[in-house]
Amino acid sequence: MNEREKFERLIARRPAAHAPLFFERPHLSRRRFFRVLGAGVSGYYVGAPLRGGEAVWSAGATPQNKAKNVIFILLSGAMSQIDTFDFKNVAGVTPASFAPESAGDIGLFPTGLFPKLKDHLAELAIVRSMRAYALVHGLARTWVQIGRNPTSALGAVAPNLGSVVALELEPQRQPSQVFPTFLALNSDDAAGPGYFSAKYAPFKVQPLATGLRNTSSAAAGGPGVFADRVNLLHLLDDPLRVQSPFGKSAEDMDSFYTQARAMVDHPAVAQAFGFSTADSQRYGNSAFGNACLLAKQVLAARQGTRYIQITLGGWDMHQDIYDPGELPALSKTLDDGLAALLGDLKSAGLLSETLIVMQGEFGRTVGPLSAGDNGRDHFLQQFVVFAGGGVRGGRAIGRTDATGAFVEDYGWSRNREPHPEDVEATIYSALGIDWTKIRYDDPFGRGFEYVPYAKDDVYGPINELWA
Amino acid sequence: MKRQLKTGRLAAAAAAAAVLAAQSADLGRELSAPHAECSLFGPQRERFANGGLLAAQREAQALSAASTEAATALGPLPSRSRSGALQTPGSLGPLDDILFTAMRAAGVTPTEPTTDQEFLRRVTLDLTGRIPTAAELTAFLNDASPNKREALVERLLASPAWVDKWTMYFGDLFGNAARTAQVVRFPEGRNAFYRWIKASLQQNKPYDQMARELIAATGANSYEQGELNFLAGGFMGGGPIQDTFDRQAADTARTFLGIAHMDCLLCHDGRGHLDALSLWGRSFTRYQAWQFAGFFARTQLARVPVTQGRPNPYYWSVLNDAGRARTDYTLNTTTGNRPERQPRPGQARTVAPVYPFSGRGPNPGEPYRVALAREITSDFQFARAAVNYLWKQFFGLGFVEPPDQFDPARQDPNHPPADPWTLQPSNPQALERLAQDFVRSGYDLKALMREIVNSRVYQLSARTAGGWNPAWDRYYARHLVRRLDAEEIHDALITASGVGASYNIAGLGTVNWAMQFPETAGMPAPNRNNSGPGAVTAFLDSFLRGNRDDVPRSRETSLPQALDLLNDNFVLMRARASTPNSLLARSLGQPDDQLVTTLWVNVLSRFPTDAERAAALERLRSGGAGQRTRNAEDLLWVLYNKIDFMFNY
Repeated sequence: MNEREKFERLIARRPAAHAPLFFERPHLSRRRFFRVLGAGVSGYYVGAPLRGGEAVWSAGATPQNKAKNVIFILLSGAMSQIDTFDFKNVAGVTPASFAPESAGDIGLFPTGLFPKLKDHLAELAIVRSMRAYALVHGLARTWVQIGRNPTSALGAVAPNLGSVVALELEPQRQPSQVFPTFLALNSDDAAGPGYFSAKYAPFKVQPLATGLRNTSSAAAGGPGVFADRVNLLHLLDDPLRVQSPFGKSAEDMDSFYTQARAMVDHPAVAQAFGFSTADSQRYGNSAFGNACLLAKQVLAARQGTRYIQITLGGWDMHQDIYDPGELPALSKTLDDGLAALLGDLKSAGLLSETLIVMQGEFGRTVGPLSAGDNGRDHFLQQFVVFAGGGVRGGRAIGRTDATGAFVEDYGWSRNREPHPEDVEATIYSALGIDWTKIRYDDPFGRGFEYVPYAKDDVYGPINELWA
Repeated sequence: MKRQLKTGRLAAAAAAAAVLAAQSADLGRELSAPHAECSLFGPQRERFANGGLLAAQREAQALSAASTEAATALGPLPSRSRSGALQTPGSLGPLDDILFTAMRAAGVTPTEPTTDQEFLRRVTLDLTGRIPTAAELTAFLNDASPNKREALVERLLASPAWVDKWTMYFGDLFGNAARTAQVVRFPEGRNAFYRWIKASLQQNKPYDQMARELIAATGANSYEQGELNFLAGGFMGGGPIQDTFDRQAADTARTFLGIAHMDCLLCHDGRGHLDALSLWGRSFTRYQAWQFAGFFARTQLARVPVTQGRPNPYYWSVLNDAGRARTDYTLNTTTGNRPERQPRPGQARTVAPVYPFSGRGPNPGEPYRVALAREITSDFQFARAAVNYLWKQFFGLGFVEPPDQFDPARQDPNHPPADPWTLQPSNPQALERLAQDFVRSGYDLKALMREIVNSRVYQLSARTAGGWNPAWDRYYARHLVRRLDAEEIHDALITASGVGASYNIAGLGTVNWAMQFPETAGMPAPNRNNSGPGAVTAFLDSFLRGNRDDVPRSRETSLPQALDLLNDNFVLMRARASTPNSLLARSLGQPDDQLVTTLWVNVLSRFPTDAERAAALERLRSGGAGQRTRNAEDLLWVLYNKIDFMFNY
């Protein structure tokens, strides 16, 4: 019996007592690692320097290149999969109000929890064979944002997926575009740019009806005063800003001032980052709904934003998960916001070019609720929802068994469970980014792989989404 | 520096790529260690890095050859013309001798010495995190004593602000936070750790003693004994106990020896991974790393609920030979966040502690971590690492970069490694000298900082007239500017404007300076300020103060920094004449010429140049008397947004 079978037997015996099993990954992936290494490495060296002259290496993968933008929705706290997107009716446990209805390839779908999303199932591709590596919130949450183990040495300097996207897509920016490439909404604890420059950092925003913080000159006295002041600033400070005797960092700061000045009072900034009460209501009148609304407005503005992370927390329902204030209430928040986002993106013609990825950091226990607490605890099996970006919807990819605890069908050519690293590769591939790329500008001087081991084909994209 | 590295790596990678194909067939064979979780290493990448090393050497040689002419033409070192201090070349200390000799040998021309104004602002920020007040500036400039720079340094080292600044620094280094992804210390534990650091600095406790207290700490309650919180930070939940031992070992090696590679070596041997990076690391084995981690094996880290029967909150106890921690490091894991720990055939199942750089273990009856603390603090590498970390704080660039990637086999200038290896530090003699001085001083942090800031090389100007080669940065021939840290910007705005701030920190009371915050995340508590929810916290976060966990502090510039300095209320209200007791409220009555001086001196800690004075006066007088207040506000706002306000130069 191998490690993996041992682990799963343990899970089967103690479905609710797996928390101490922090990781189960090493053994499987190590074998695979050695196997592919044994096959040798074939790759090529991309000689052309990128910005700043970094060297890169790549195995030369062919990305899907079907999407222009990504919206990454992190269901922080970990949503119960068998009550939602991998629905299993547990007799005597699942509330009747969840009202599951059969929805083609997707199978049973809880229309009581998601009455609005029910009408968007044709856009959704649900990967049900997904499996997390860790059951610790902070760790796993970072894991899905950086696409690798945060406790590995490079984990400490690894950038958020959005920062990699921002760096990769920078050459596509137009001079007239004034929004940051990577926007993080309701995500103050979003993983940062790692060792990348601060210009690829998530631009963190808490949506406010009044718009983006510090982008209006009103408090300074209006556009006239502001322009006047900025002119005076340049008069007095250009000797230190332009061809600065202090060197590059002062000149960098000046370029951020140029970017900031372009955003201040820009109509597109106010239009995309502020919102009306009516629109907010339509998105469910919640912080999450407002973030979805902003995401749509920001993409519609076409001002250079390409990767948007949205966090919706509160799914860590260890107790009384079926109380009206718990799963049903939070599902309504999600339903209102996401359905409106899908609808608006579609009618604006943006859905086909925008890949939406939605997942928690892991899943929750299956079967009966936990004794005494009536909740669901941490579990490795989970789901990922994909929509837009050319993904063929109305489908489930992979299938779990009747309980939802184990995968019966991977639904994937790699014939194993997808992991966060594979989702990462999928996102890069969708955006036309070679996920096997290795950069040699990391502080350790060892090379930073966009997706760990991808050059050896250990991890890779879920191409079935587009098939 | 960054650009220099990148160019080097490009050439490096090109060279390495050529050999990659030939070598790839050997990869499997060279992976001598089990290699699982660690997504960092791959032998190919090591080869690229090796190429990088060689390319950097080639670049340095080329540079040196190209400037032979310049070197021979280089006259005597610039004398300190505008300062009373250090005017004679003969007053160069041994450290300066080493560094200026290296510059001359490489044909690198240093910049001019700093003016008194530049020096005052630079050293005040570097030592205390504050900008000088107008009164301090005037007093310093009027001081005719030849030793006024040294005297200033003494005043700054003795000031309470010095304690605040370095409490923040060591809080960063030791990772003091109420909560990380792995560990919860609770605000009470964080405060206790903060107080311990602060008290240690107030007493100018020798740094080796600080290290011993942290490494060997034992006690029942992390809320009461702040020093327990260092090891508590190594807790790794959900896995075997060895995960925690390994984390504590890795943290200790990084913090006190500058050897972050210990983290790697706790997963696998160095061979096949660190070959090109570390002469020491390439032959170091995972077994030796276990021997190092073995010093933590009899340490029980336990959560103790504050209220019995309630899981939260809890404090930490750190006890020897307690709980499950009563045996030596045991090779018995198949799970956890490192590859399985199993004995090889013939190996014992337990690993006794051995300090890898001395071969010694604990004395009979000596607690393991007491032995480790003794070994580490008597290791010269301890002094090197500390000196290099601190040097970086003053110069922006360590002799060894990054400062946690020391290769202990390539440090001793008297015993350079065999070809093709070279000594690792950019100036091995200087690092050696500073570290020796640090040891001789009894690990006196103030003495070390005194030596650094009184050096002529620290007092070189940041300004160049152009034509600067970034490769010269590592000679410290020009002072590298840095953006002020988040707390420094916040506090500089207070000093400049005279408009204070007041924050209530649970368990610590009221603080008036950001440099007094006990940590960097969520400070001040987002709803505890007078200018809208989270505004000051967001302002501080824009300046990238990190979270002492997975987000490091950064001195990068960014778009939110520009937006905040342009428009944030924290800045705007300090530019308004209507804000009570503000700089303008106090000085608008001055004649125009004096007002301009007042603004410059208070905000920029220097007098305006003639051109600046002329432009400022023109602005102040434009639009008639009715415009004067607004004009003055415009000027003040501009000064808050000037490069020489937001940078230390």
